[in-house]
Amino acid sequence: MSNLNLNVNGTVHSVDVTDDTPLLWVLRDTLGLIGTKYGCGIGECGACTVLRNGVAVKSCRLPLKSVGTAKITTIEGLATSGKLTAVQQAWCKLDVAQCGYCQGGQILCATALLTATPKPTDQDIDEAMSGNFCRCATYTRVRQAIHAAAGSTPAISP
Amino acid sequence: MSSASPSPAPTLDRRSFLKVSALAGGGLLVGTYFRFGSSTAMAQTLPAASGTFNPNVFISIAPSGAVTLIAPNSEMGQGAKTALPMIIAEELDVSWDKVTITQGDLNPAYGRQSAVGSGSTPGNYGPLRQAGATARAMLIEAAAQTWNVPARDCTTENGTVIHQASGRRLTYGELAAKAATLPVPTDVALKDPKDFKLLGTRVPGVDNEKIVTGQALYGIDQRLPGMVYAAYVKCPVFGGKAGDANLDEVKKLPGVLDAFVLNGITGLTSGVAVVADSTWHAFKAAEKLKVQWDQGPGVTQSSVDMAKQAESLGKAAPAPALPSGVKAVEAAYHYPFLAHATLEPQNCTALFKGGVMEMWCPSQVPGSGQRLVTQGLGLAAHDVVVHVTRLGGGFGRRGSNEFSLEVATIAKKMEGTPVKLTWSREHDFAHDNYRSNGWHFLQGGVDGAGQLVALHDSFVKMTGGPGDMAGGGFPFNAVPGSQVQSSKLTGSVPTGYWRAPGDNGNTWATQSFVDELAHAAGRDPLDFTLGLLAAVPGADSPGGPAGGRGGRGGGFAPPKMVTVLKLATEKAGWGKKLPRGQGQGLAVTHTNNAYVAIVADVTVSPQGVLKIQKLTAAVDAGQIINLSSAEAQVQGAMLDGLSAAWFQKITIEGGAAAQANFNDYPVLRMENSPPAVEVHFIKSLAPPTGLGEPGLPAAAPAVCNAIFAATGKRIRTLPFTDTDLKWA
Repeated sequence: MSNLNLNVNGTVHSVDVTDDTPLLWVLRDTLGLIGTKYGCGIGECGACTVLRNGVAVKSCRLPLKSVGTAKITTIEGLATSGKLTAVQQAWCKLDVAQCGYCQGGQILCATALLTATPKPTDQDIDEAMSGNFCRCATYTRVRQAIHAAAGSTPAISP
Repeated sequence: MSSASPSPAPTLDRRSFLKVSALAGGGLLVGTYFRFGSSTAMAQTLPAASGTFNPNVFISIAPSGAVTLIAPNSEMGQGAKTALPMIIAEELDVSWDKVTITQGDLNPAYGRQSAVGSGSTPGNYGPLRQAGATARAMLIEAAAQTWNVPARDCTTENGTVIHQASGRRLTYGELAAKAATLPVPTDVALKDPKDFKLLGTRVPGVDNEKIVTGQALYGIDQRLPGMVYAAYVKCPVFGGKAGDANLDEVKKLPGVLDAFVLNGITGLTSGVAVVADSTWHAFKAAEKLKVQWDQGPGVTQSSVDMAKQAESLGKAAPAPALPSGVKAVEAAYHYPFLAHATLEPQNCTALFKGGVMEMWCPSQVPGSGQRLVTQGLGLAAHDVVVHVTRLGGGFGRRGSNEFSLEVATIAKKMEGTPVKLTWSREHDFAHDNYRSNGWHFLQGGVDGAGQLVALHDSFVKMTGGPGDMAGGGFPFNAVPGSQVQSSKLTGSVPTGYWRAPGDNGNTWATQSFVDELAHAAGRDPLDFTLGLLAAVPGADSPGGPAGGRGGRGGGFAPPKMVTVLKLATEKAGWGKKLPRGQGQGLAVTHTNNAYVAIVADVTVSPQGVLKIQKLTAAVDAGQIINLSSAEAQVQGAMLDGLSAAWFQKITIEGGAAAQANFNDYPVLRMENSPPAVEVHFIKSLAPPTGLGEPGLPAAAPAVCNAIFAATGKRIRTLPFTDTDLKWA
């Protein structure tokens, strides 16, 4: 067991868990931040994506002790003062989600992409989003929403 | 969702139940799960304060004007939580942006709560229109009495009753208290669908903002004070049973609170439960379990043996000899077992307290989960309270509810402590109710004029589960004397409903074979398919059902199929001359009463790399409820069908599933998703079909037919990745 300080969504939490516990389960079971989802546990699906210092990482295989003092942002911490980000707004407006289970991870991944590449091409989107699959296959609208959030002209159906 | 914290007893007037019974013409109301007395568990109900108008269990209108509507069916991404209340709101005539939606818990007063078979919308369309129209009629009557004018002189607009002649207006909120005192009419007029204002428009999902901010919605997100976390491990070999296990050792592992073997409970697959202080500790301890499994006879099963048995069974029913001058076309098609692989693994949460089992279930059919629990544990239905959570995907998987009984059994042993059971991904792959494998040994006969004059299918699948061939379906109904012979493999591999059961594999085989026959006849596949549709009995009765089935969904109207086929091919620019390595393919399906035609445009590199460039679908699904989710369902269903057909198979080795996680069961990703996916709906005022499934079956054959056009390579085994598409 280790006692560690964890900086999540701007708040430092003191947590006491077994050393091998991945960040995912500390977020979900210890801190109650259930927006980060369990999908596969092997880093294949992307449902557990969080931002570590602004970079998208998969939390299901990230041992807590390797997080250190990094700033973790979960889907709950993306909107500040109740105002949705441009990415979240685009997701709502274009009605991207079907079941919605993967979408927190998709949104965080898209956020990291747009931070690094403000006007991504379709190829940029393919590369950046390839680690997050969607079982409902909402890819058509995910792509549209990323373009919309980037301020490009999205190909919205009439 | 409701929490387990003590709540005041519900004040819902029992009179309102009698009202809904009258409204539905009886038979709808068979009981209620709302508990009274000492239990703290109770189902979600509508606001029912003094002065509130609750004309039926779906609608509550407060004096403030706040309108709350019940979404009776579970939401798994198919859009039911938005679409079903839209139907009520249309007839009630309220502004959508003023309405609050509440997910209904399991309650027989809500009618059809199973979300399977693309049935939520068609099954609830009539009753929910009635519910809305009845409330509107009562509000009009309340206003008419207030003004002392005839009700027929009053109309409604966005939650207000208006007396046309005098221009007087009263809002629904102002009328709620009076309307609540009126008798419920039994024969109200419904709107003419051509006057619909809300239905058919694009309405974003009601939970969108919660989804993009990570709010608790799903079964796996349930958290209760003092909750413990469970894993339940079953024998990897189907039909196996648990014997002794190293329970003492496992109980000493970090965070483990208890571990026990469960056997002999009706409906429960035997296994070993581990209860811990976190999901992670439960998973880790479950991995350390050493169980003496009685594997049973199922251990000898394998996909390799099944293929051999299928071939011998299939070929034991040969096609009749063809007349001279008729060219025989023969082909064998095979599709494998598939897992559902919902991204939210199976899970369920339960608290057993004071004789009541309160449950939070991500279920497509919560009523059958409740039945499993009542039968397995000897509880009365009114002592099993089921809250319905959002589902992280369904695809048919959550129509079976074994997780409900698993967690309830554990919770009963841990009386007073809430228990959340989560299946690991590996357990979810190992214990699915798989889409059955299938084999089609097909023979067609093409005459000198290029006409299909004989068609024979010898079809083999696992016994049990859905997916049998409809012998009278298209294209068999286009060929007099055609035959479908079915044979079954026996075994203990559990099979179940997987999105568009039957059609998801059979349509791929038959629509690929139609394309083979068109090429053998030297005809364009569109022209050939139109010719077949013209030969179906009833082909000239516009819109009327002809005999036989065109897939799952009853009466088949060939003219409707012709319409979608012509629209899809027109929109896709069918018939383009394309260089080698590029191709177009088409396929059609009649699934769950909807008509779908799909054209695929693909490229295949000389090295065999497939890229789907565009999918163009035309769909006749009757009246569209929510255009946004209708379009999304067809887009997603097409891509789901392609994800499975392109990449996925479950193989059985040693009586168990060989694939354990997404690293060996790939899912379609962004880079494989076509850049263009178009969906065109036929404008229709006919009653709606569902749309969760119809978009799926024709996608894979359209792509396979396009691959053939591009490369001359015919895919006859799924997934595509088992075929080398290199052409130069």
